[in-house]
Amino acid sequence: MLSTLRDLFRYNREFAIGASLVLVIVALSVASFFSPYPAIRSYVVPPDIPPSWAYPLGTNSRGQDVFWQLSAAMRNSLLFGISVAFISRIISLAVGLTSGYLGGFADRVLMSINDSFVVIPLFPILLLFFFLMRDHMSWPLLALAMASLGWPYDARLIRSIALSLRTREFTTQSVFSGMSTRKILVEEHLPYVLPIVFATTMNNINWSIGLEVTLSVIGFTNIETPTIGTMIYWANQHTAMVAGVWWWVLAPVATVVMTFIGLFLLAVSMNEYIDPRSRLARMGA
Amino acid sequence: MDVALSVENLRAYYLMDYFGIKREVRAVDDISLVVNRNEVYGLAGESSCGKTTFLKAIAAATRPPLEVVGGSTRYSFLDRDIYALSPEELSEIRWKHLSYVTQGSMNILNPVRRVRHSFVDFAFRHLGLPRSEFFGAVEQHLRRLNLVPTVLNAYPHELSGGMRQRVTIALATICRPEFIIADEPTTALDVVVQKDVLAMIREAQQQIGSSMLFVTHDMAVHANITDRLGIMYAGHVVEEAPTAQIFHEPRHPYTEHLVASLPRIGDRTQRTALPGAPPSLADPPSGCRFHPRCPLAMDICREANPSLTVLSANHRVACYAVSPHVKPATVIPVTSDSTTESAGLVE
Repeated sequence: MLSTLRDLFRYNREFAIGASLVLVIVALSVASFFSPYPAIRSYVVPPDIPPSWAYPLGTNSRGQDVFWQLSAAMRNSLLFGISVAFISRIISLAVGLTSGYLGGFADRVLMSINDSFVVIPLFPILLLFFFLMRDHMSWPLLALAMASLGWPYDARLIRSIALSLRTREFTTQSVFSGMSTRKILVEEHLPYVLPIVFATTMNNINWSIGLEVTLSVIGFTNIETPTIGTMIYWANQHTAMVAGVWWWVLAPVATVVMTFIGLFLLAVSMNEYIDPRSRLARMGA
Repeated sequence: MDVALSVENLRAYYLMDYFGIKREVRAVDDISLVVNRNEVYGLAGESSCGKTTFLKAIAAATRPPLEVVGGSTRYSFLDRDIYALSPEELSEIRWKHLSYVTQGSMNILNPVRRVRHSFVDFAFRHLGLPRSEFFGAVEQHLRRLNLVPTVLNAYPHELSGGMRQRVTIALATICRPEFIIADEPTTALDVVVQKDVLAMIREAQQQIGSSMLFVTHDMAVHANITDRLGIMYAGHVVEEAPTAQIFHEPRHPYTEHLVASLPRIGDRTQRTALPGAPPSLADPPSGCRFHPRCPLAMDICREANPSLTVLSANHRVACYAVSPHVKPATVIPVTSDSTTESAGLVE
């Protein structure tokens, strides 16, 4: 495992850059646990101080240290992204694998549901969801809502692979040997689709963080919790760019761009590790 | 002699119904044969003559549109017809008593998992050993078949085709099944590996004392491994005899041409091809299905299908020209309304 990582670092530039970026982001998120101030408290430091040795990323107009604010925001955004990706992966795997393997009527029903979700416009639905839940809006609830909207593309992708897998000899033989449908899906087909699932997980984290930022910037989430999006929201509320407090906006934007690039590069290089065939090619190289 | 498998009047058709147009392909039509214990029975025939369909039918591994419409399939280890079993009972006897090496069987190993997992997935339930002893038994079995147990840790793509085929055969024989069905297990291999694999199959079969139904279109392979040989043509078995007898004195005109087409060392005469092509199984010719290509065709051949008739002790043939004793087969009644419709709608 460690030697694989070392090899990937050495021979795969995408992985090296992506992993470094993600590592920085994770370190930043973990740092939030050592924050000297609670993230939601304001006026704990003097406001509007530009970046300096005492405050590496400056302080904002609400009297918060931007570095510690950013640290907590990144942790929350990342956790949000991961939980959305995790839940939606489960849905898309379940739907994609069963639909592709069973075929026929089950396939038609599942795919018509799937396609309905594909054509649903996400953004208005999420806005509506916010207005409906206004007083009870919480991050786990939003994560659940987004997860239940973010699975259909990948379910279709997984189904297309499952369709081909069901006609392979090893599936026929599994059926012949008396394996149950559940076992065939989990033991035989799941390992086959995992590389694609890993790649789409990264993309899904990106997608959900992006959507979270979009919703938060215009104030349609629980703005009390610091996230990348709410940080930008508060900066806008205090007209940070007009007031010249540019570091308040630059910090979250730069960090989230770093996250996107890092995750994207990881998604690209992840296949190298997962697919035993390309792993072999790399060892030969 | 003990009978391991007896098939009687087995008929398996592909019944298709596309947008109201019904079509019936009689891929296995009225086949009866017996495989004895400890015997390797070979089935030969050209492509699309129903060999694989027959195997699927006797393994009860049919999926729509393929359906078994008549006949019986009885194994010695079962007290009733295989089609009388429930799905649970069926999956219970498979692998343990009946294993099936499918066509392209070197691909039955999951490409993204180690060979070890395939053994667990396919055989663990059927072997009924605790996990700690399972791999010991597997390794012992591999050693018996002269395979190194380290193949268990390999991915299928790390093995050569011949190696994968050998692993597959080890996998098929691990539970010491009474009956093995092998569908062209050597087709994708070159002759050197083929020889090794055949020796291995033979050895495995003799070690565990099972019976085997071996299908291939390669007559050289049949000469090598099978004890008795059935020749299939267009969904029928047209001749059946001990392998050596088929090669030395073929009686059916199709078999005669088949054997005459084989190259012999020192013989420089040009081999003549049989004119015509095998008939469409959706619309077979009347009477004997071989008559349009047969050099000996008589009037009766166009009218009624000859039955497989015993010529001598263990030689059966279905041809009027061979013996006056050959009688027409009983006419199989039309199964349903669909068939009458199909007659006019096929095309």
